[in-house]
Amino acid sequence: MSLGPLLRKIFFVDLFKGMAVTFKAQHPDACMTEQYPLERPVIAERYRGLHRLNVDPDTGQSLCIACDLCALACPEKLISMTSERDPNTKKKVMLTYNLDLSRCMFCGLCEDACPTDCLELSQDYEYALYSRDGLVLDRERLEKGPEPTVYLR
Amino acid sequence: MLEYLRSYMSQPVTPGEAGNFLWATIYILLVVAGVSLAVLFMNWAERKALAHMQIRLGPMRVGPHGLLQPIADAVKLLTKEDIVPVGADKLVFYLAPVLVVITAWTVFLVVPFGPTYAVTDMNIGILFMLGVSSLGVLGIVMAGWASNSHYPLLGSLRSSAQMVSYEVAMGLAIVSAVMMTALDGHGLYGVAANHLETSGTLSMIGIVNSQAEQGTWFIFKFFPLGLIAFVVFAIAMIAETNRAPFDLPEAESELVAGFHTEYSGFRWSLFFLAEYSAMVAVSSIAVTLWLGGWLRPFASVHGPQITIPGYWQGGALDFAFSLLPALTFFLLAGFCFIGFVRMPKLPALRLQTLGLGAFGAVLALVALFLLVPAVRDRVQPIYWFVVKVSVFMYLYIWYRGTFPRYRFDQLMKVGWKVLLPIAIGVLVATAVLGVAL
Repeated sequence: MSLGPLLRKIFFVDLFKGMAVTFKAQHPDACMTEQYPLERPVIAERYRGLHRLNVDPDTGQSLCIACDLCALACPEKLISMTSERDPNTKKKVMLTYNLDLSRCMFCGLCEDACPTDCLELSQDYEYALYSRDGLVLDRERLEKGPEPTVYLR
Repeated sequence: MLEYLRSYMSQPVTPGEAGNFLWATIYILLVVAGVSLAVLFMNWAERKALAHMQIRLGPMRVGPHGLLQPIADAVKLLTKEDIVPVGADKLVFYLAPVLVVITAWTVFLVVPFGPTYAVTDMNIGILFMLGVSSLGVLGIVMAGWASNSHYPLLGSLRSSAQMVSYEVAMGLAIVSAVMMTALDGHGLYGVAANHLETSGTLSMIGIVNSQAEQGTWFIFKFFPLGLIAFVVFAIAMIAETNRAPFDLPEAESELVAGFHTEYSGFRWSLFFLAEYSAMVAVSSIAVTLWLGGWLRPFASVHGPQITIPGYWQGGALDFAFSLLPALTFFLLAGFCFIGFVRMPKLPALRLQTLGLGAFGAVLALVALFLLVPAVRDRVQPIYWFVVKVSVFMYLYIWYRGTFPRYRFDQLMKVGWKVLLPIAIGVLVATAVLGVAL
């Protein structure tokens, strides 16, 4: 062993270098942790989260025209809806809407297919459940949109 | 009764020497309580500091900044199911954690927190500490054997091999420090030698007293020699306590948890307690032997004489140092108040915020209490001892956050082929220098 590396070994130079690295890492600004329920991440606009059926904010009417395009677009055939023709306006009205999340891969093809921007993938990411029953979303749940849990304790 | 309580106060010796059983018991309780508190705090501090080194936050939920986490952990451990493996040797399985804790706590009998603040002062103090603390390895071997399981057995075998081999280098380093108590001469090769009538001692209090008389900590004596002996000891003591980077007996990646794999609940917490108490114990050996024990830095410098009526009479530097304990507590209280102000104003955090404020207030009160002259003068040695030991505790965490684990053959190589020759060389050189100068 030549002199340089020997001296470095004797005086623990490399060990001290390593210790300097870990010491500097203690700086509070270096911390990457996000205190999840207290601090929430900023979700990108185009994030594909839980589905939502949009409602016309002025009239409170669903934007859905019951065209069934979303159900056709879905590669997993997860969407099913029933509709009837309104006798007065002669327009199709969506009655029930069911979406099975259990096999959904959030590809967003249903969202792309929707001609009226009714079906939309929202930024909600909190859809963990204790049973599979809750994974089938009905019209009411879809129109209500995301309900972020509130951190209490 | 009161008379009996006071009977010891006037004597300038430890209660063990004075033969005062009552005060000895009180001291023992205080030391055990203090060590347990230190272990609790160390549990929190280690998790926090280690987390920060790994760019994490560590415990944050139980109390402000996780301050109550050790208490929650203790409650969890005490209420956990106590599992004894079917094939275990029951008696030995029960005895092992008890033995480990007893040995880890018994060594604190002779640890000097101040000139008279030790349970007793034995004339073989350091020998007693080494002897009793090496008994701990017996408990570990018992635990590994009694578990009747592969990993604990492997862990305990590694542990015994490691502790036995590092004890040799450790002992030789200690001998060189003990030898220094008998050798006259200053740190810098007798430049300012006092030419004292010196005599060697193994007593922990005697060792610190001789550092005070010689006017130098042994880490600076015969300059590189004391330092090298100290470094040898500092490495060996990490190996002795089975801490990273020498934590092979409990290497998670290889041995699950080492010798305490089969232990759960309270028995496991006894092992935890013993491990951290042993860390405090070996750190206090290092502090006593090389870092001047309870002596403050520059203990022989007093500064100009100043007088503050009714409060202080003596050296200005002494006065400045005597205020440090109170200042430390004021600083801690300040941190608490900063946290109190900066805590997010959420209803969920209301209780935590109030608790942190109250804790800060308690710390500030303690700081005020430490300014009372009688307390101020008595707490001084304890403060310096605790500060020095805490530096070692931080180093333990720091090493754990930095260094990767040694391989077993590397461990043995470092112990036998590096540390042992260095320790013998330092011992011989110390003897030669001591006689020659």
